Amino acid sequence: MGGFRARTLCATLVVVVAGGLIVSLRGQTADEPQMLIQEHLGLAAVDEGLIQDDSHTPSSPETRLRAALREALLQDRVGASGGHYRPGRVIVKFRDEVAMPERRAAARAASDTGEIADRPSYADFDIVRIDPAEDAEEAARVLRQRPDVQYAQVAHRVHALFVPNDPLYATQQWNLPLINIEKAWDIQPQAGSSITVAVIDTGMAYQNATITATLPAFRSGGVNYPALGRVTIPYSAAPQLVSATGSSRIVAPHDFVNETATPLDFEGHGTHVSGTIGQLTNDGIGTAGVAFNVKLMPVKVLASEWDLLFAGFTNISNVGGSDDDVARGIRYAADNGARILNMSLGSSGPPDCATRPNQSDCSPVIEAAMRYAVGKGCFIVVAGGNEFEDTVPPYGKNPTSVLAEIASRIPGVVSVAAIDRAKEHAYYSSSGSYVELSAPGGSERGFGSTGFVRQQTFDFTFTDTFLLPPSQYRAPRFDVFGYIGYIGTSMAAPHVAGVAAMLMQQGVTDPVVIEEILEKTAVALIPAGGDQCPPGTSAAAPRTCSFGFGLVDARAALRGLGLAK
Amino acid sequence: MKLTVLLLIGLALAAPAAAQGAPSLSIRPFVMVTDQSFAAADSFKAAFSKTLFPFFGGGVQVLVHDRFFAEFGASHFRQNGERAYRGGGQAFKLGIPLTATITPVEITGGYRFRLRQLPRVRPYVAAGFGSYGYKETSAFADPGEDVDTRHSGFVLNGGAEFRLHRWIGVAADVQYSHVPGIFGQGGLSQQAGETDLGGVAARFKLVVGR
Repeated sequence: MGGFRARTLCATLVVVVAGGLIVSLRGQTADEPQMLIQEHLGLAAVDEGLIQDDSHTPSSPETRLRAALREALLQDRVGASGGHYRPGRVIVKFRDEVAMPERRAAARAASDTGEIADRPSYADFDIVRIDPAEDAEEAARVLRQRPDVQYAQVAHRVHALFVPNDPLYATQQWNLPLINIEKAWDIQPQAGSSITVAVIDTGMAYQNATITATLPAFRSGGVNYPALGRVTIPYSAAPQLVSATGSSRIVAPHDFVNETATPLDFEGHGTHVSGTIGQLTNDGIGTAGVAFNVKLMPVKVLASEWDLLFAGFTNISNVGGSDDDVARGIRYAADNGARILNMSLGSSGPPDCATRPNQSDCSPVIEAAMRYAVGKGCFIVVAGGNEFEDTVPPYGKNPTSVLAEIASRIPGVVSVAAIDRAKEHAYYSSSGSYVELSAPGGSERGFGSTGFVRQQTFDFTFTDTFLLPPSQYRAPRFDVFGYIGYIGTSMAAPHVAGVAAMLMQQGVTDPVVIEEILEKTAVALIPAGGDQCPPGTSAAAPRTCSFGFGLVDARAALRGLGLAK
Repeated sequence: MKLTVLLLIGLALAAPAAAQGAPSLSIRPFVMVTDQSFAAADSFKAAFSKTLFPFFGGGVQVLVHDRFFAEFGASHFRQNGERAYRGGGQAFKLGIPLTATITPVEITGGYRFRLRQLPRVRPYVAAGFGSYGYKETSAFADPGEDVDTRHSGFVLNGGAEFRLHRWIGVAADVQYSHVPGIFGQGGLSQQAGETDLGGVAARFKLVVGR
């Protein structure tokens, strides 16, 4: 807490200095901008204790160790039970009274080539070395039958099971083990390091900045809020997205809401989604992400309340985005190196946009952009929609999620429904024959706060000040972060985007094939109480309207296929 | 070294050197190199990036009246590759090591023809059945995920033997084998719709004995 205070004082000092700088500059400019972002000017976020860790970079000693282990697996023998073991050795525990000549005799009795090796350090057992071509299991069996042997066994290969040391991973992130991610990390420790994932969303907290803006009076919920005038606002990169060493993982950021190259997130959604895809992992801090070494491309297409206020609007109800910005964002991402696009956004519309794309509420412009991006080799993940229980006139209850429906018609684009931590259909997750995959989106029903999907994003008590009574309304600050629980298909989609990034890193570069793989390796789920299709519709088996092909399985997808199995 | 040993064994077991003309019963060891093109070509190409694979083996022939013969042979194939996916007309290798081992044991019976104009050349045809051991191991396998199985199949072959020397001949033939039951139920073979572990092989034999 003391650290927090100290940082608050420092932040205040920087803000005052920056404010002074701005004031001094004001006199020199005739037209004061509504909002000014001074990039890289500001303190790091209030989230102390970031430990530098590069154990999952391709060149790190840890990665080389894993590669060596993988190479060693090639030379393993496979025992009768199917387990791997190191050839050429048997681990033996002789009874203490057995002298060395007797031990040597026992080793030779078990194998013509058997001999006792020098005892290794920290061992109370012996190693009997035998010809690697010999059957070590048989030698161990012979030794076990001797009265002077307590136990004898082959040297089973211990398989690295990477479990990140981020403290909240074990206690809060039920969602990542649910997609079988730990064994996928064993297969690919570099976790997507050469792949760029575009997060087409509300932006991202990816760099430090100082924002100066004139905040107008506005009306919200029938209540008038006062103008705050010229304010200076601290902004920090989420420390669990961008390490303190710099922002090299951030690629070609762009803001289509404000038409800038600075897509700062003023809402928190895009930062949270980015965390699920690529939160820094195994650094002993906070939470983990799926493909924790990917490069991230923030593409801002959704406006938040602060975007509107910073732009001088006096009505903040018009948050969100529009098809044109989304379509431009998709094309931008495809043209600037992104290989995976995550779209945790959507809208409701009629169920027959496929046959009548020009009717109201269909989005042919986004469909065209998606097809363009897939044609350039991008794989796209689209949230399935959160309106299962909602009634949206004129489409009724559980309306079609337009972008998800488009996704289902384009090979290389998938729509993702949400499940809760019991692998049940999340109560809000839109259902329909267009649902293709499922992933954890969380639910508070039956689970309370333990059912959330938690990633690092803004502490909303410092950002959503427009929700406070007018008397308490104050300028926001975007430099205080916490591990916040969200639920929604917005949270489900980035799980799939992360797995897709790892799959692409593993060598599958065709988006159409990536979709096939994710669907074929998904774990089929059976909806409790029957499938929840909209009236008059059904999903073609093995799909269901609730889950599509099922729950994405990262390990199965990454491991690929052998010849016979 | 192994070849030398097999040759010596063959010479020891072969019909007596003093014998003139073909013996009524002859036991003839052989060693064999095979170049096999698998019926499951797409699966093998995805995992190993090629379609022709060598087998090494040997066996023994029992020749009756120089016309009828029974042959017992065993061979071995082992190849390292990668787990993969197929899609869009191409294979995507995943960098995950995979090793496939095939151990065929085959018994065939056949007939040798005589060519009056070419007495040193003996064309032959044969048919039989085999038992085919198949083992597939790969990295990151959980218990039960590797494959170790044996299934039966049948073989047909035809070729010719050329006598280099009274005691030594070389033979070349083409063998077709059909081995159902191993491929097609999972993995790349299922993805490719390939159900046969057999294929067409060119076999080259060094035969010792008359």
